[in-house]
Amino acid sequence: MNKKKEKRRFIAVCLAPAIILFTVFMIIPTLNVFWMSTLKWGGLSANKEFVGLNNFKILFEDMNFIQALQNTIFLIVVVTIVTMVFSILFASILVREKVKGQNFFRIIFYIPNILSVVVIASIFTAIYDPSTNGLLNSIESLFRPETWETTKYLGDPNIMLYAISGAMIWQAIGYYMVMYMASMSSIPEHLYEAASLEGAGKIKQFFSITLPLIWSNIRTTLTFFIISCINLSFLFVKVFGSGPGGVSETVLSYMYKQAYSNASYGYGMAIGVIIFLFSFVLSALVSKATEREPLEF
Amino acid sequence: MKKLLSVCMVGLMTLSLAACGSGDSGSDEKVLKISGLDGGYGTKGWEEVVKVFEEQNDVKVELTLEKNISETLRPVLTSGQDVPDLVYLSLGAEGRLTDTMVAEKQIADISDVLEMTVPGEDVTVEEKILPGFTEALTSSPYGDGNMYLAPINYGPCGLFFNAGLFEEKGWEVPTTWDEMWELGDKAKAEGIALFTYPTTGYFDAFFSALLNVTAGSETYTELMNYDTEAWESDEVKQAFEIVSKLATYTEENTVANANKESFTKNQQLILDNEALFIPNGTWLPGEMADAPKVEGFEWGFTALPKVGAEGDAYSTAFVEQVYIPSDAENQELAKEFIAFMYSDEAASLFYKYGAPKTDADNNIIEDEYNPGAVMPITTASTKIMSEGDANILFYSVYDNGAKSNPVGFVFKDTVEGVDLTSAEGILYGTVNEVVNGTKTVAEWHASVIEAVKKYND
Repeated sequence: MNKKKEKRRFIAVCLAPAIILFTVFMIIPTLNVFWMSTLKWGGLSANKEFVGLNNFKILFEDMNFIQALQNTIFLIVVVTIVTMVFSILFASILVREKVKGQNFFRIIFYIPNILSVVVIASIFTAIYDPSTNGLLNSIESLFRPETWETTKYLGDPNIMLYAISGAMIWQAIGYYMVMYMASMSSIPEHLYEAASLEGAGKIKQFFSITLPLIWSNIRTTLTFFIISCINLSFLFVKVFGSGPGGVSETVLSYMYKQAYSNASYGYGMAIGVIIFLFSFVLSALVSKATEREPLEF
Repeated sequence: MKKLLSVCMVGLMTLSLAACGSGDSGSDEKVLKISGLDGGYGTKGWEEVVKVFEEQNDVKVELTLEKNISETLRPVLTSGQDVPDLVYLSLGAEGRLTDTMVAEKQIADISDVLEMTVPGEDVTVEEKILPGFTEALTSSPYGDGNMYLAPINYGPCGLFFNAGLFEEKGWEVPTTWDEMWELGDKAKAEGIALFTYPTTGYFDAFFSALLNVTAGSETYTELMNYDTEAWESDEVKQAFEIVSKLATYTEENTVANANKESFTKNQQLILDNEALFIPNGTWLPGEMADAPKVEGFEWGFTALPKVGAEGDAYSTAFVEQVYIPSDAENQELAKEFIAFMYSDEAASLFYKYGAPKTDADNNIIEDEYNPGAVMPITTASTKIMSEGDANILFYSVYDNGAKSNPVGFVFKDTVEGVDLTSAEGILYGTVNEVVNGTKTVAEWHASVIEAVKKYND
């Protein structure tokens, strides 16, 4: 009896630091965001005026915010699909096929992930340079009559968002590829041997063995995709600018602008609340939609 | 024993957390805390001025100048603890911390500094500062005649060009907009664009001057007070139309490069003779000092052309600010420091150590400085600058007949979701869309008026 009590107390004491830290640094600030979203406040002074849900009312009529939300959803969809397809493809090639210099490719694909966004941005300004010296524009000029204008990757409102997703995809592929490779290499070899004895080709093997067996991994990464798209796009927009007419503005960059540049911190926090709920709900929906009976091997 | 150990561990963790928060203040010596931006003018000027002030007043000055000051200072100001006594960070600077301070009314009224005598001299601060600076909305943001931000480091903003190219081609620098368009057509024939701009952020100075050119300074004051009728007037529309005409003469890659990462490519266009004019401030020659230039390149600088032969040419006087947060402890000492900043002694030091010199690889050369940072004082061009000084080119723009105009709106309560004046806001940011052709000038003008109306509601 006494021993049990002591054990329980010991567990409580061991957990306490983590719980205290989590409460102080995660739960309280999150609740604070909800509270601050009901204030008209510049963020610096003690002049806080409670305005109820007024910030949200303004928010849903604010076309700049709606545009930013649309752009964010666009980035989540495009970046997720393209990155996932490429990283699964590269991962299965590197794991399943005998490619010369496998490790070399693994490193090459992973390098963009360890570069900081600022470095990536510098690389991509060279790639997207609008003059004929730009990497993409000089390739294009091989196929284009000289009198045609160059492509303005970071200035044309119809292209800019694709240009930013290009940089984000390039950056993300390596990271997800390594994750998929880890779970692919744990699939037992005999499954593939049996399949090829039965006459299944490489593609059939991929869809019937590889994909179902890494499904739980894919589900986890989908949540990662949603979170990282929201976060990373902010950094890219910070360096490339939000483009003419805010064509590449995303929710986080808009929140930052309102909270800090426009001295409306309360309004910014209202945007924060929406982003919080949005990413939560989206992750839950995606997780629900991709639910499958887990396969064991 | 185990239990004791675990309790100790928990205690230690909590302690280490608590330790982060405490500070110490021991001695009685007066300490003046100055925080500010390590910007284009560098830190040496400040260090030297502080040294002299310390000696003369027997006080200690803690000087913190950082590149990302608006990020590091924000939490300090929010907490209200250990607030610096003097802040050097201008309105409109990255992060817009000072603008937020104004909006939150967190800046102390320093009107009485104007009556103080400049240390070591027999004039008051008010007499020493050039006329017009202290009444401008950049110093008196609430438009009530009280000074909250002290003006420092002024410089004209106008159009930079390659004077060598003009000489070579035998072109005259246009004095009216009609001549401007003529020149634009001539240049176009030679494959040179008339105009480019680094980012839309530079339109605050450019467009303010243009509004003064078309509508005059009285209407300009009304505009800066969010007067809807003034914004709807024909003279103001004319300014919008000039920009939209200028848009058709703008170098084609300008918009794509008009971001923080590649704005220098737009500035390079002038050095490469690919564009004629670029709106900018006096720091431009320093910023592009090591960039490759065409042969015979020579900096030229002019005010904005006038409308018709009768009008006035304008050049925005760009000015930086220092201010005292209302939570600051040593406000009196900070005021003394501000008064000292206007002395010839301090102004000469600020000017002498304007900006660190760099070599061809953009490495800073130790102990060598380019003169810069000009205080807006009556002795600026006589005592501070010596004859033959390269900076006289810029500052003489006002002697050549151009009028100076301030930049900035009067303070109004912030409107959520409406961004009129930032680099990417409605008034200046939309220029990108006008140049791109995605917005017409009428749409731009209408959206500005709509935003102005929202501030008045």
